[in-house]
Amino acid sequence: MSTAQTGNELLVVEGLKKHFPVTRGIIFQKEIATVKAVDGVSFALREGETLGIVGESGCGKSTLVRCILKLLEPTAGRVLFQGEDITGLSRREMRPLRRNMMMVFQDPYASLNARKRVGFIIGEALELHRIGTPAERRRRVQELLEVVGLNPEHYNRFPHEFSGGQRQRIGVARALAVNPKLIFCDEPVSALDVSVQAQILNLLKDLQREFGLTYVFIAHDLNVVRHISDRVMVMYLGKAVELAVRDELYAQPKHPYTGALLSAVPIPSPDTGRARKSVVLEGDVPNPINPPAACNFHPRCPRFQAGRCDVDTPPLAPILDDHLVACHYPLERWPMDIAEQPAAAAAQPVESAG
Amino acid sequence: MSEPLLDVRDLRTEFSTDDGIVRAVDGVSFTIEPGQVLGIVGESGSGKSVTCLTVMGLNDAKFATSTGEVLFRGEDLLKAPGARLREIRGNEIAMIFQDPMTSLNPVHKIGRQLAEAVLLHEDVPRKQAYARALELLKAVGIPRAERRIDDYPHQFSGGMRQRVMIAMALINNPDLIIADEPTTALDVTTQAQILALLKRLQEDFGSAVIMITHDLGVVAETADEVIVMYAARIVERGHVRSIFNEPRHPYSWGLMGSLPRLDMNVERLYQIPGQPPSLLNPPAGCRFHPRCAYAMPICREQDPALAVTGTDPSHEEACHLDAETKARRAAELVSSLMTGAST
Repeated sequence: MSTAQTGNELLVVEGLKKHFPVTRGIIFQKEIATVKAVDGVSFALREGETLGIVGESGCGKSTLVRCILKLLEPTAGRVLFQGEDITGLSRREMRPLRRNMMMVFQDPYASLNARKRVGFIIGEALELHRIGTPAERRRRVQELLEVVGLNPEHYNRFPHEFSGGQRQRIGVARALAVNPKLIFCDEPVSALDVSVQAQILNLLKDLQREFGLTYVFIAHDLNVVRHISDRVMVMYLGKAVELAVRDELYAQPKHPYTGALLSAVPIPSPDTGRARKSVVLEGDVPNPINPPAACNFHPRCPRFQAGRCDVDTPPLAPILDDHLVACHYPLERWPMDIAEQPAAAAAQPVESAG
Repeated sequence: MSEPLLDVRDLRTEFSTDDGIVRAVDGVSFTIEPGQVLGIVGESGSGKSVTCLTVMGLNDAKFATSTGEVLFRGEDLLKAPGARLREIRGNEIAMIFQDPMTSLNPVHKIGRQLAEAVLLHEDVPRKQAYARALELLKAVGIPRAERRIDDYPHQFSGGMRQRVMIAMALINNPDLIIADEPTTALDVTTQAQILALLKRLQEDFGSAVIMITHDLGVVAETADEVIVMYAARIVERGHVRSIFNEPRHPYSWGLMGSLPRLDMNVERLYQIPGQPPSLLNPPAGCRFHPRCAYAMPICREQDPALAVTGTDPSHEEACHLDAETKARRAAELVSSLMTGAST
């Protein structure tokens, strides 16, 4: 596996699961089902790289990040940060580690306290971690405002005095305040207009180069993920279905779901966009309370093979160096019509059932 | 050429607010032919939605005043009385809103909501209205439509709700559909389903469509004609291929350059400096000049009019820049977007 540890991984996630109980009744809350929001996700993150996580709404990308940060308690699995297992740590034990892991949120309108001044919002983490004197903190905040391209004199303003893009810069400055190693960005640009989105993406790239940051970047927009990531993980219904180096994933997707996602993105060029044959997936993402058996993509998969895909769960396994895919019949080439039946299935009729 | 279906002339809409007058639409003119798809692109606050709300007569009359002409088959909708507008809305002109959850009534079954749309405009028996509702639900691809017609909106997923909205828009065979960001709230695979559906239905029913969106990709794949709006005005318009293959306004260059692309790697995105202006107090002259890399002294003083400067007589832009520079810059941008080199 490409998660083979070489010793310089900043973060290692092993078989992480988060199951939410679904209960019925008010007094005797009987558990009637579980939602498997994250169901056995593993990956390793090298220092200084950006891992993009893509998937549709409800595929578990945000829950995954919240479990890694221990904002939610994972049901099973391990999280190692700089080689240290943080899964069993108490809140108090976690606190010094939180300095190293910060988060940038999706909605710059909801994630800044409207009643606090910008200087306080950015400096709060410094105060909580008892870093520096008040004067030093103030200087640090002003420096941060400058780093993210805002006027340091705006220290005393309130969030409502800023536009959406500027607020997201404040969110980034807040995440940077305590010099973290790892920043989780949960859809940081999806609420912004395209011209402002470009400003924030460039800023994130510049900061990464300058401070050697490692990012986990969640987005549903494949264009944005391609732009910012070194490696990309595709999630579907709580599971990682494909994980590869960025160029490899976009040039040679192996999982039919990745192929369908890529061909569904509108291309801003009428000639290439209309010439390409796009695959329209049937149906919706299934209900995670009762996900399909085995490969949970099989009811929507155009390459579905009865007796194998609905019986045997495909593991996330390497198909090439640094390219993992969880599929029995990965795509042979790209671009291709993913509705085409897999060559392997035609050659060897279904016998491996069970 | 046939008579345009909709002819909007010098439309201006103002809102009076506590801070002053906001000119949300400031001198917008366009036409749409029967069966055509017109894409309107622009960022938030550029006036694209207000333009369409004004066409439909849906602005709050207490705060909004509109001047100009909105000729629908020669009839000025701005001067039409409320009763006449109610006759047209949902019948000859239908609208699809961005958020299907808030635009369906949560306490009524969808069958009733669809049938109501028919009964409002046609004197037919209730049974026939329900039959029509069922037919439309099937046409938009809702599985087991016979059973789902008795479901409430919350029992549908986002994509399915948007299909119900489309069914409702199409139920009276409108000549014009205004779709305001119809796929923005949806995931990519669902978006692809809905866009394919809209295209098929638009061909089957022959309706004209105004597609409002901020997504250049959606416009490139669906529209025939494109209007680019910035700060309440049209800055560029033309045929979709012409707009994407030879963009001639600096704002359009900025928009296209700032998009991350699926089909290529770009190290650094082009960024338009600054923020869109406040419409309370827009900049003098060309409204884009404070953010424009090509601004000249004249741009600060004189507002450029839409004019043809290239070879394509249907492609107009509002910019003072000379034609050679525009052509050269457009060619550079498009070739850089082709090869993936950074600009």
